[in-house]
Amino acid sequence: MDPARRLGRAQIDVFAQLGVSTILLGGIYALIAVGLTLIFGIMRVVNFAHGEFLMLGMYAAFWAFHLWGLDPYVVLFVSIPLFFGIGFLTYVLVMRGVIHASHNVQIFTTVGLSIALQNVALVLWTGDFRTVRPWHSSVVIRVLGTAFNLSQVVAFAIALALTLILFAFMKWTHTGRVMRATAQDHDAATLMGIDTDRVYRVTFAIGIACVGAAGALVSPLYAVYPTAGLQFVLLAYVVVVLGGLGDMVGAMLGSLIVAAVEVVGSYVFGVAWKEVFYFALFIAVLVFRPAGLFGQRGAETLGV
Amino acid sequence: MASLPPGRRAAVGLLGAAALLPLVVRDAFVLDSLILILMWGALSAAWNVAGGYAGQVSLGHAAFFGIGAYATALTTARFQQSPWLGMVLGVALSVAAGGVIGYLSNRLRGPYFALSTIAFSQVLLIATSRWRGFTAGSEGIPVPFRPGLATLGLGHVAWVYMALVVAALYYAVQVWLERSRLGYQLAGVREDEDAAEALGIASRRLKIYAITLSAAMTSVGGTLWAQYVGFVDPFYVFSIDLSIRFALNTIIGGIGTALGPFLGSMLITSLETYLRATFSGVKTGFAGIYLVIYGTALVLVVRFAPEGLIGLAARFAAAWRVRADA
Repeated sequence: MDPARRLGRAQIDVFAQLGVSTILLGGIYALIAVGLTLIFGIMRVVNFAHGEFLMLGMYAAFWAFHLWGLDPYVVLFVSIPLFFGIGFLTYVLVMRGVIHASHNVQIFTTVGLSIALQNVALVLWTGDFRTVRPWHSSVVIRVLGTAFNLSQVVAFAIALALTLILFAFMKWTHTGRVMRATAQDHDAATLMGIDTDRVYRVTFAIGIACVGAAGALVSPLYAVYPTAGLQFVLLAYVVVVLGGLGDMVGAMLGSLIVAAVEVVGSYVFGVAWKEVFYFALFIAVLVFRPAGLFGQRGAETLGV
Repeated sequence: MASLPPGRRAAVGLLGAAALLPLVVRDAFVLDSLILILMWGALSAAWNVAGGYAGQVSLGHAAFFGIGAYATALTTARFQQSPWLGMVLGVALSVAAGGVIGYLSNRLRGPYFALSTIAFSQVLLIATSRWRGFTAGSEGIPVPFRPGLATLGLGHVAWVYMALVVAALYYAVQVWLERSRLGYQLAGVREDEDAAEALGIASRRLKIYAITLSAAMTSVGGTLWAQYVGFVDPFYVFSIDLSIRFALNTIIGGIGTALGPFLGSMLITSLETYLRATFSGVKTGFAGIYLVIYGTALVLVVRFAPEGLIGLAARFAAAWRVRADA
C-alpha cells in the first residue's frame, strides 16, 4: 500500500511518489541494462548469464557485510575492479572461442555459464534468502509528500554517476572510440589496425563490472539467493529490447519506461501482477517494433 | 536391418532394449529412471522439431509443457474428467499458443526469437501462479491417482511402455521430417532464410507449422509427465530451467538429428539421477552439483563438439574406418 494513499493525502502526492519511485528504480535498472546492451552492441552476443553476475555482485556485498561489516557502498570500490577482472577472465576462458560462432552456439554458451554459476552459488552458499541491512536501509526521507529510503536514493545516485561515466568514456576516450568503431563495422575496424580481440576483452569486462556494481547497489534493497539474478535480467532484456539492442541511450530511456510500467502497474493493479505488464510491453515491442522504440527498423531480421 | 543407416539401427536397438528391460528388472528405481529418460528424450525430440529441424531455438518450450500439465491436472482434479480429455485440450491450447507465438515472433531471428519465447513462458508462469481461483496459484495442484488406462493411473511397468510408445512415435516424426518435403523446406529456411524465400518457400508459414507441431508434441509430454509424477507446480512446469533442459538434452545428443535428443536424455538424466542419489544426503544444496556439471558440459559441448554425441560418434567411426582400410 502506498503510504501517501493510506494517509489520505491529496492526489498530487501519489503522482509525485510514483514519479520519484519510477526515477529511482529506473536508474538502477539502467546500470544493469547498460552492461548488457554494451556487450550486445559491440560483441553481438546476448549474455544470458548477465543476471548471474548480478547475483555474484550481490553475494560479494552480502559476504563483505556479513563477515567484516563493510557497507555495500564501500564494497563497490572493490567490486568494480573485481568484476572487471571476472569479466576479463570469462571472456578469455569462455567467450573468446565462440565470438565468431553461430547465434545458437553463443546462446547456449552463455546459458550454460548461467546454469553453472547459479548452481555454484547454490552449492557454496545454499538456497537461503539472505539480506544486507546496513543502517541506511532503514532511514526514510520525506520530501514534498513523497517518502523513500536512503539506500534507494544513494543507489540511484551512484548508478546514475557510473552510467554517465561510462557514457563519457565511450564518447571521449580513445578506447571508447575504438569500441564504437568496432561496433559499427568489425571488419573495417580490423583493417584500421584495431585489435578487436582486445576490444572484446575490455567490452566484456566493462559490461560485467557494471552489473557487479549494480549487484552491490541493490543488495540493501533486495534479498540475495542463487537465482536472484533472474528477475533482474528478464527485466533487463525488456529494457534492452525496448531501447534497441546495443543502444545505450535507448537503454536509459527503456529503463525509465519499464520502471514506470512497474511502478504504476503495481500501484493500480497490485504488486502481484507487475511482471505481466512489462512482459506484455515486451511482447508488444517485439511484435510491432522489434528493433526497439528508437532502434533502426529491420535490425531484428538481420539477426544481429 | 543391415540396410538401415547406423543411426536407425542404434535407435531400434536402444528402444528394443528399453522394451525388454522391464521383463528382466523389476526394481522401481531403475524403472523410474528409464521412464524419465524416455519422457525427457521424447520432450527433447519435440523441442528438436522446432529448435533443430526448423532452426527456431526456443527457450520457452516450458510454456507448452506447462499447458499440457495444467490441462490434465485441471480436467481431472477440478472437473473430474478423463486425463485423455485433458491431453486433447492441452494439445488444442498449445497449438493455439504455438500458433500465436509463431505468428508474432517468426520475423525475429537468433537471440530475439529466444528472448520472445522466454517472455511468453514467463507470462504463463505469472498468470498461473497468480490466478488462485482457477489454478490454485503457486501452491500447485495434486493430480488424482485413479488406477486404469482410461484414467492414466498406471504402474511402473505400464508407464515404461507408455513412455516408450511416445518416444518411438516422436522418433518416427523426426525421421519423417528428415525425409519429407516439409523437412527439406525447413532445413532450407534454417540454413539460409533469404535464399529459401527466393526459391519460393513460404518461410514464415513453415516456421509456424514447425512450432505448432513441436508445441503439440511438448504438450502431450507435459500431460503424461503430470500424470506420472502426480503433482503440478507452476514454478517448475513453466520454468526457464525446464525449457533449457529440452534444449540441453538435444544439443548434447546432437541437434537436428533424430536420435540425438534420446542420447542426450540418456546421458543427462542418468547423470542427474545418479548424482542426486549419491549426494542428496551429504549437504543441503549439494545436489545442485549436477547442474554445475550440466552447465559446464553445455559450454564445452557447444564449443568443442557442436554436433553433440552423434557428431562425436560419426567422427570416431570415420577415423576407425580409415584405420581399418589402411
